[in-house]
Amino acid sequence: MNSLIKLELARALRNRKFLFFSVLYPSILFLIIAGKADSTTRVDGTGLTLPTYMMVSMASFGALTAVLMGNSERIAKERESGWVRQLRLTSLPGRGYVLAKTASAAVVSLPSIVVVFAVAATVKHVRLDPWQWLALTGSIWAGSLVFAALGVAIGYLATGDAVRPITMIVYFGLSMLGGLWMPATTFPQWLQNIAKWLPTHAYAALGQAIEQSQAPHTKDIAILVVFFALFAGGAAWLYRKDTLKA
Amino acid sequence: MTMTAETATATAVAAFDQVTKSYGNVRAVDGLTLALHPGETVALLGPNGAGKSTTLDLLLGLKHADSGSVAVFGTSPREAIVAGRVGAMLQSGGLMEEVTVAELVRLACDLHPKRFKVDDVLARAGISQIADRKVNKLSGGQAQRVRFALATAGDSDLIVLDEPTTGMDVSARQAFWATMREQADQGRTVLFATHYLEEADAIADRVLVLHRGRLLADGTAAEIKAKAGARSVRFDLEGPIEESALRGLPFLTAIDVSGQTVRIQSSDADATVHALYGLGVYPRNLEVAGLGLEQAFVAITEAEEAKQS
Repeated sequence: MNSLIKLELARALRNRKFLFFSVLYPSILFLIIAGKADSTTRVDGTGLTLPTYMMVSMASFGALTAVLMGNSERIAKERESGWVRQLRLTSLPGRGYVLAKTASAAVVSLPSIVVVFAVAATVKHVRLDPWQWLALTGSIWAGSLVFAALGVAIGYLATGDAVRPITMIVYFGLSMLGGLWMPATTFPQWLQNIAKWLPTHAYAALGQAIEQSQAPHTKDIAILVVFFALFAGGAAWLYRKDTLKA
Repeated sequence: MTMTAETATATAVAAFDQVTKSYGNVRAVDGLTLALHPGETVALLGPNGAGKSTTLDLLLGLKHADSGSVAVFGTSPREAIVAGRVGAMLQSGGLMEEVTVAELVRLACDLHPKRFKVDDVLARAGISQIADRKVNKLSGGQAQRVRFALATAGDSDLIVLDEPTTGMDVSARQAFWATMREQADQGRTVLFATHYLEEADAIADRVLVLHRGRLLADGTAAEIKAKAGARSVRFDLEGPIEESALRGLPFLTAIDVSGQTVRIQSSDADATVHALYGLGVYPRNLEVAGLGLEQAFVAITEAEEAKQS
């Protein structure tokens, strides 16, 4: 399986478009959103400055891009082309394909997190304790698994033609409504009521809790765990269905 | 007796026993029983929709039989693949894109329990010169060769190829046959699906003819060619036609009379036409034509059915 991970990774790192959107784009968006903000304005109800707050949002957004895009479209296309069938004629274990996809996406998501941090620290002078940087990287990286599972589920649900629009709707919907692009506190109340149950909102909230030197809220962790179980369960079910049909 | 049957299954490379597989109302494979023996090169011949691909999918464990059993080297297909005993090339086997040919072949070698060296696999499949090319930039024939390389990345005992020469021109096809024969010469069992009788004739020791999911014939290419050598005879007659007299013609396998036109299928057209003149009739606009493989299969089936009833 390692050889498949290596090859998937080599391919992802060669794909400039994918690298731009998952590694550079979140940092650029961060500079646009946080660019003019001074470091005294606080985001409502968090006590964090806008750059500090948005740094976590954009790092989460970058990781989300890497794992969701990396998985869904490739899986749907390769299922349709017959590559997934061809792999089933090798000694690779059944789950090896999905695991290799997810592992290589996770490797790409790490730089997308770190680059946002580096830009925030150097350009917007975000300062945190060393343990906070480490905890942020770890939690955002681990949390991205929820969306990797969602990507796999979409890849096994959608056909090659439909996968891009479906992924885009899910991706933009979750990013925007979850408050990754602007703080959810700026939403009208009814939208905030929806947003706080979304996995992306809980995902970013993990990091923001760490920035506030708090332990992540139990509710956010519970939301992520439930969504992970839902996405991974759905992906496993769709995978089995696809395997029987093929 | 039971003993011999069991021994035969145990030594068989692959054995199908009363295998049935349906899609909705369509029986793709219908009560198929067959065994492949070590070292044979076997062609699975049949028109489109005969059930060739489904048969290979069942053999490779990509599909599961509704009833009956499939054994490969005495185990399940999946176990045989994991043990590295089977290499296969699918008809619509997509390839991983945006990687080079060499990278893809290296992956296949890495995944094979009894792997060969990448360079050797590339050379044997005749793709050393395009090793650095991206997989998504290949011609149809080149892609087929890459698929063949994936199927022969290790020392498998059985090589399964589903319509391997699709998309190749005549010279590429013949070069590919030589590559296939090399595999057989090394003592491997080779099973390939094709709808070209010519291809089966050129390579196979044994030909299995599949039609509507049933095994229609099992023999050497020469035997099958003789069986499928049916021809159609068409002519017009003036005046009233005595169908019963026509039915008595030798080697006739089917007859259809509409208006003044008579269409006959015969396994020996020369003898049939000769006897036709012997009936004292004067056929006009006489045409004798070879049947396509598909029609020939239908002719064989109808002959078989007629024999049974």
